[in-house]
Amino acid sequence: MKNKNLWKKVKRFRSIYILLIPVIAYFVVFSYYPLILGIVKSFQKVKLLGNSEFVGIDNYVTVFTGSQYHQAFVNSLIVGGGTFIFQFFWGLIIALVLNEIRNKIARSSFQTVTFIPYLLSWSVVGGLWITILSPTGMINGFLQLFQGSSFTPAAFMAEEKYARFIMIFTGAWKGAGYFAALFMASIVSIDTSLYEAARIDGATRIQQIRYITIPVIVPTMKVVAVLSVMGILRNFDQIFVMMNATISDKVKNLLYLIYEQGILKFNVGEATAAATLVLVATLLITQVVRKLLHYDQIYE
Amino acid sequence: MKRSKLSNNLRGGWAVLFVVLAVITAVIMFLPMWNVIVVGTSSTLDSGSSGLKLWWHEFSLEGFEYVFEVTKLARPFLNSLFVTTVGTVIQVFLAALAGYVLIQKELPFRNAISSFIMLTMMIPGDLTLISVYQLNKQLNLLNSYTGLILNGLISGFSIMMMRNYFQTVPYTLEEAARIDGSGEMGIFVKIYMPISLPGLATVFFMEYVARWNSIMLPATLVTDESLYTLPVMLKAMIMSTESTSGAQVAPNNAIMAAIIITTIPLLLIYIFAQKFLLNGISMGAVKE
Repeated sequence: MKNKNLWKKVKRFRSIYILLIPVIAYFVVFSYYPLILGIVKSFQKVKLLGNSEFVGIDNYVTVFTGSQYHQAFVNSLIVGGGTFIFQFFWGLIIALVLNEIRNKIARSSFQTVTFIPYLLSWSVVGGLWITILSPTGMINGFLQLFQGSSFTPAAFMAEEKYARFIMIFTGAWKGAGYFAALFMASIVSIDTSLYEAARIDGATRIQQIRYITIPVIVPTMKVVAVLSVMGILRNFDQIFVMMNATISDKVKNLLYLIYEQGILKFNVGEATAAATLVLVATLLITQVVRKLLHYDQIYE
Repeated sequence: MKRSKLSNNLRGGWAVLFVVLAVITAVIMFLPMWNVIVVGTSSTLDSGSSGLKLWWHEFSLEGFEYVFEVTKLARPFLNSLFVTTVGTVIQVFLAALAGYVLIQKELPFRNAISSFIMLTMMIPGDLTLISVYQLNKQLNLLNSYTGLILNGLISGFSIMMMRNYFQTVPYTLEEAARIDGSGEMGIFVKIYMPISLPGLATVFFMEYVARWNSIMLPATLVTDESLYTLPVMLKAMIMSTESTSGAQVAPNNAIMAAIIITTIPLLLIYIFAQKFLLNGISMGAVKE
């Protein structure tokens, strides 16, 4: 009886199921299959000719003991973590400043100019900063202005000592407006009468910011933190565009190394093992951060 | 009237600090973009000389001539436009369809389908890149428009966004249509789609920007220069200036011109669809 009912329902929704087929098929082929294929390959030695052979955890051992993976992990953490911290505080400053601008035109210009970089491709942002940091670029132009005739232009992109800072700074430059937009989304939900009431009670504007605006953004800060932690180990585009041979020791990160090994050098087993580890690490770190921030309480 | 407004502003040292922060941020954000515009419309000679270039020494479109005649940027531009537009339109359509399925309360196996889709959001595309490359090789999709469109055609994220929009449609509307004799597809097309137009627009513009900017997939799937998308071409231009191989080096004004061309569609979207973009961005963060 029950089965018959179910069958009837299934029949009634028949057209919907048929329409759903492409969606399901897509996910099977382009999401689940690559995931499983990657895990399988990570236990294999892939040969250009003939069948792949099963090698157990050999690839994982190679990744764990390989110094290039250690270096890439350190680079990912420093550049990724640094970018997050810089971007977080810059975004917060932008949002707070934005909320204090009363002039409509000034306000929307400020928001536009800080948000535009987020919309751009890393090809654009990378190309822009590589040119600006080049010997004939804008930064050297400014230095020349201050130093006068004794000036010799620097090739900033070719110096190891600047490399990580450049990646962190340009990452924050691109993303600060995005964080600010997220913070603004909660700031605009504040009832303006709250500020008014605080003012009547004698609170100064900075006290209102401290005790009204900032507490409202705290849940968004947690969301932003969780989102960013997931992305820290997975920054490909920026390094792909901005890295060059002279600075690769300082900035080549895990995702780029995986790409290099798997796509350019055909070390498929090793690369998929590393990718699987990054996937697991990302999930673990995210869980830890969620717990630390009591994240799941936000949307209860 | 003005005074009462002003009295709730920052004062003293704090006001100075905020103004300073605002000015520094605005300058750091704006100057690089301004520099792009000036250098991109300067002569090749000027753009390659040292010194500050924040105003035109001589206005010139040499950079644009270079990117169209030497780099042949028209092709990548059209490639990007085609791949992005087709991919995004299909994505929005399928996301709406799947989102609608997920709000059918009586649909058998709804929860299973929903989990199946949600789980794909946990699979990061950048980490399965190598297998995705091999999959495309197996399917003969490398170096093809089909491959560029097909990869990333549907995302769990846009499906969830559409579902959330559909959930806000009052059930009574659906019921009324049902009484009038509309079938499932009729209800979907006549009731849900029109009400959820802002949702469709949000998904469309979010996806359009993401696809337009994507580098990793096209750079992996395409080696044939005639199929390069704009970001891949731009990256190749930037790289050639660093190589010492003697390959044709693009002058600064040409690179900046290419940057301007790549950016224009995004600026148009920002100007005309800002509301949807900002909306989608905050929704995306909250739903995560």
